[in-house]
Formats: sequence, C-alpha cells, structure tokens
Amino acid sequence: MSSTLDVQRADTAPAPRARVGTPRLTLGLILLVVVLAVVVLGSVLLGTRDVGVATIWHALTDYNPDSTGQTVIREMRVPRTLIGLTAGIALGLSGAILQASTRNPLADPGILGVNGGAAAAIVVAIALIGRQSLTTYIWFGFVGAGIAVVVVYSIAALGREGATPVKLALAGAAVSAGLYALISAIVITNLEALNEMRFWQVGSLAGRYWTVLQQTAPFLVVGSIVALFSGRVLNGLALGDEMASGLGVNVRRSRQLLFAIVAVLCGAAVAACGPIVFLGLAVPQAARAIVGPDYRWVLAYTAVLSPVVMLIADIIGRLIVSPGELEVGVVLGILGAPVFILLVRYKNLAQL
Amino acid sequence: MNLRRTPAPVLLGLALVMGLALAGCGSDDKSSTASTDTSWSYVSGNGDTITLDHKPERIVASAAEAGGLLAYGIRPVGIYLAQDIKWELGLADQDISGIPIVGEEWGHIDAEKVAELQPDLILADWWPPQDAYQGFEEGVDEESLKVAKLAPVIGANQEGSLLELIQWYDGFAKSLGVDVDSGEYAEDREDFEDALASFKQAVADKPGLTALGVAPTEDALYVAVPKYSTSLTDFQDWGLDVINPVPDKSFPYWETVSWEKADKYQPDLLLLDDRGYEDNLKIAEAQPTWDKIAAAKADAITPWPGYWVHTYADYADQLETLTAAIEQADPNIGS
Repeated sequence: MSSTLDVQRADTAPAPRARVGTPRLTLGLILLVVVLAVVVLGSVLLGTRDVGVATIWHALTDYNPDSTGQTVIREMRVPRTLIGLTAGIALGLSGAILQASTRNPLADPGILGVNGGAAAAIVVAIALIGRQSLTTYIWFGFVGAGIAVVVVYSIAALGREGATPVKLALAGAAVSAGLYALISAIVITNLEALNEMRFWQVGSLAGRYWTVLQQTAPFLVVGSIVALFSGRVLNGLALGDEMASGLGVNVRRSRQLLFAIVAVLCGAAVAACGPIVFLGLAVPQAARAIVGPDYRWVLAYTAVLSPVVMLIADIIGRLIVSPGELEVGVVLGILGAPVFILLVRYKNLAQL
Repeated sequence: MNLRRTPAPVLLGLALVMGLALAGCGSDDKSSTASTDTSWSYVSGNGDTITLDHKPERIVASAAEAGGLLAYGIRPVGIYLAQDIKWELGLADQDISGIPIVGEEWGHIDAEKVAELQPDLILADWWPPQDAYQGFEEGVDEESLKVAKLAPVIGANQEGSLLELIQWYDGFAKSLGVDVDSGEYAEDREDFEDALASFKQAVADKPGLTALGVAPTEDALYVAVPKYSTSLTDFQDWGLDVINPVPDKSFPYWETVSWEKADKYQPDLLLLDDRGYEDNLKIAEAQPTWDKIAAAKADAITPWPGYWVHTYADYADQLETLTAAIEQADPNIGS
C-alpha cells in the first residue's frame, strides 16, 4: 500500500517544484558562509567577561598563558565555539539524512533512540561506578547512542521487507520508550544519577573545553564530510524504496551506511553537548524550504545554517541571564518552537 | 582530611534516651520555662515561642539538625534528608541505624510516613533569607508543606553566628532535660574552646590574610556571602578577613561568578565547600581559569563546612583543619 503511494508520489511530485537556479543557490550558500563566519566571530567575542579584539588577536597569535583574558579566549571560548560549530553541523546533517532516508518529516536524532541510548548509558554508568567526569560521560554517551541505533535498526530490519521507514520509526519509538523506562527506574532509586542527569539532559555548551573537542571532533568532522556526499543517495531514497531500486540504488546497503553515519554524528554530538533535539528537526526543514527537494543542496545549506542557529542560541544564552548562563538547549527550545510552528504552518512538510 | 570524628558511644546514647523517656513522663521539669507542670516551651530561631502541653518526645528532624540532637544523645524518630546521605556531613559521625528516613531529596518529604511517626515536634533550621524552615522553603512540593502542619516546627537561626546556633542546641537539649554540662558533649565543648583559641591565635599571627568561601560547579563558581553563612560570620568575628562578595538578588547566599570571570576575587586562602570536597576540586581544576586565582595556583585551598555543622565536635574539627591551613598560608598570595 505504502509503496504504491510512494511510486505515485514520485510520478506526480515534480522535482523542480521550488527549484531555484544553481547560481542563485551558490550565491546564497556563500552568503550563509559569511553569516556563519560572523557568528563564529561573535561567539569568540561575546561572553560574561569583556575581552577586547586586541586580546583575542594576541590569544590566537602570540599566546601569553598568564593573561586571564587570553586564557578565556583560547581555552574556553574557542573550543566552545568549535564544539558548537561541529556539533551543530552534525546534528543538522543527521536530521536531514534521517528525514530523507526514512521519508519521515518529523524524524530527528531522538526518534532513532540516540538521545535515549546516550542518556541510559550515562545513567547506568553512574549507578554502577559512581559519579564521573564529563570526559568519561562522553564515552558512555557515545557508546550508548551507537548501541541504540544498532538495536533500532536491527529490530526494524527483521522480516522480509527489511528496515522500512515505518518500521524504523516504530522501532525507534519502542526502543526509546524502553530506554526512558530504564532511565526512570534508575534515577528514582539513585539520587546521584538523577542530579547528574539533570545537568546533562538540558543540552549545554558550557564547561566544554579542548578535551571534549578532542574526544568528539574526529567523529564529527569525518562523519560530516561523509554525510555531505550522501546527497545523491538521499535523492534516490526520497523517491521511495522501489523507485530508488529502479534507479540503481542499493536501498538496504545505502540505508545501513546512512544510519551508521547518523549514529556516529549524533552519538558524538549528543555526547558532547547533551540531547539538543531541535536543530536536527527544524534546520533541514528550513533548508528544504529555501532550496527545494534536491538533497545535495539541502545538505549543504543545512551544514551552514545549523551551526549558525546553534551558536546564536548559545551566545544569547550567555548574555541573557548574566552573570549566569542559560543552556543552549533551553534557548533553542524557547526560540525554536514558534519558528518551527510557523514553518509547519506555511510549508507543506509532508511533501518530501 | 580531618573531617570525621569517632562515632559517639551508642550505649551512652541509649541511656540518655531512656532517661529522656522517664523525664518525659513528667517527673522532672526543672528546665522548662512553662507555666504549668507538664507544659514545655522554647524560643525558635525566628523569634516565635513554641509551646507544647508536654515535653516533645517524638521529634522528626532535618538531616544536619538531627546530627545536632544526636550529639546530646537525643534520638529523633524520623529524619528527612535534602540530598544523598553521603553529602549530609552533619550525620556522618552519628549512628542513625533504626531511625526511619522520611525524605531523601530536597523538596520531597513523605508526609504519610511522617504522620505515622506521630511527631510532637519537627526540628529544622530557620533560614531568614528564604523566610522558611529547612525543608519547607519556597519551591518544595505540596506534600512536604503538609508535614509542617503535622506538628510545630522549631529550629535554630541560620543567619548570624554558628557558635550561637550550636548554643541554641545546648538550650534546646537542656529544656528536654538533658544535663548538658557533663558527659561527652561537655568534653566536646572544651575541645572546641581549645580549637577556637588556636584559631584566633593563628589568625592574629597572620595579619592581612584574606579568605574566600567558594563552591565550584560545572556552570559557575559560587562565592559564599559571609552574612548568610554562619561559619563565615564567625570567622569574620574572630578576626579572619573573609571577603564579602556581591550577593545574587534571588538567592543571596552566593554570588554567581562565571568561570570566565573566576579571577574576580583574589584571596590568599580559598575555603572550598566540603560537601563533596574532592569532586568540587576536580570540577574546579577542569576549568582553565581556576589557576587564575593565585591561591588556587599556589594550592592554598582548605575545606570549609558548607552550612552543615551543628555540633561542638564537628566545629572543633573544622577549626583545627582551618587553623592548620591558616598557619601555612601566605598573606601575600592574593591581592
């Protein structure tokens, strides 16, 4: 039933619906990259401590470890910005890949059990071996996210037709529900786990310095580069499994590869800054609204737009409740929800 | 770390409980200030006088407050915690086996369990900035608030001197018929007097030494406001120059200092909140700016009892640790 619908849709939904010319798209992308550069600069420039541009220049070119201002720039704001940048790209790209490969406009890292897996692994670790440092949690979060994705995919792949979009969504929801039950069971009986969870679950870039970046950057960078080249495959899958097969795409192999990429990207991003859900859901939608259905462009735009949104939210969080900070996950929720509702209201999202 | 003292002898405690039970039968009432033979009253930390028609025998107490009672051999019938028991340092040296725990988290006290215990009195510190007793502050759940209606609440004032807070317990125990001038607690008090004398001497020997109370978290460095920390108030009164930060508006116990500005205050000696001292230190050391506090770089860091001391014995231990740190400190580290 669903496959006939897919074929019909592929027949009737012409790709050029919202297509903008390639030169204009290229120009737009260049503009967005400039915006990203400005936001990155802002992220290094703005914070609770006033640091002048000269200090920033010295911190980057002629670092004097005795200067507190330079230390703040070099050891705190630069790594924090780079984590926001790489994790933002990773979350956006995973969202785009998931939405295309599962043909589910509401797909985001949460739906695959990534967040639940990471959180469950961290909570279990606290319950078994006690409170740990942030850098230790990252490994647990990463492994947990990876296991969750493998489990979800394996469950969905059972049966003759393999891992169809609907079965993936159901398996993801079921595994997530199970994982959250496990998390609840642990945090109800283990106060330490509850307190650590509260801190981690919000999603934050605060307190993330070079060690966190060093741990996660290799996964984020390699994963993002591979993801950027998946546009053609995604275009095929977005047409429906049968159509994609007809076009010569190995549906099963492609989906497995894409899920592996998502597991690496989300696992590393969630481990680095906690479950930040909104980016992966909304940014690919916005990108598609701008560039149309060609996933090569959707991926490129998502990769630039996503860190822009992430870093702006983080900067706002730093400045809004000075001297303290508001976590980036909270800011994204507050700012993002109305934007997303508008997007859903005015764009027909079901037409992927 | 010299944070723990040897547990009090259990037998002595038992004997005292039995003595109390007998006293509670109404034969001996000499310390009561009440008008009739059997009634009992005592002035709470907020100035209210709590009066009961008989001496309270069944007391449900907040954690560190329970520690204060147990030091006098008075066993509460129930204890509610504000956090994991391993952070409730006021109970660390006390034998609480057999006493039901009726709350394990701030904001959640099991009203049903407390009701079953049929308390005569609830013992909890009075926190003036929040205008509330411990466990019944703004933000706790509805069920906790019901607990405060099961019996009158009484407690020592957590603004002002920590020594006076402990002396409030002296008076409280006395009103319950405990002979506070002999036995182990009398010895504890003498030990405390000695520790205090050494502390004052050490402070006098280090003119110009400044100290700062801090609690590091992943989010920010919290700097303690001495006015709302009974121990820091005492240290200031006894001559130690504890820096006064600018209190946050919403929660005046602390000034929140972002890690980017961690070098805002430059004391000669850092007093680090000892509720999870090792973890706190690890969190702080992971921050690139921690070393920008000269005292941190020089390792001039010593545990500071974060709002939990309720006994002479614990206070004496803390003063001894602090005295040793002051003796080693260099008054020229900070600025």
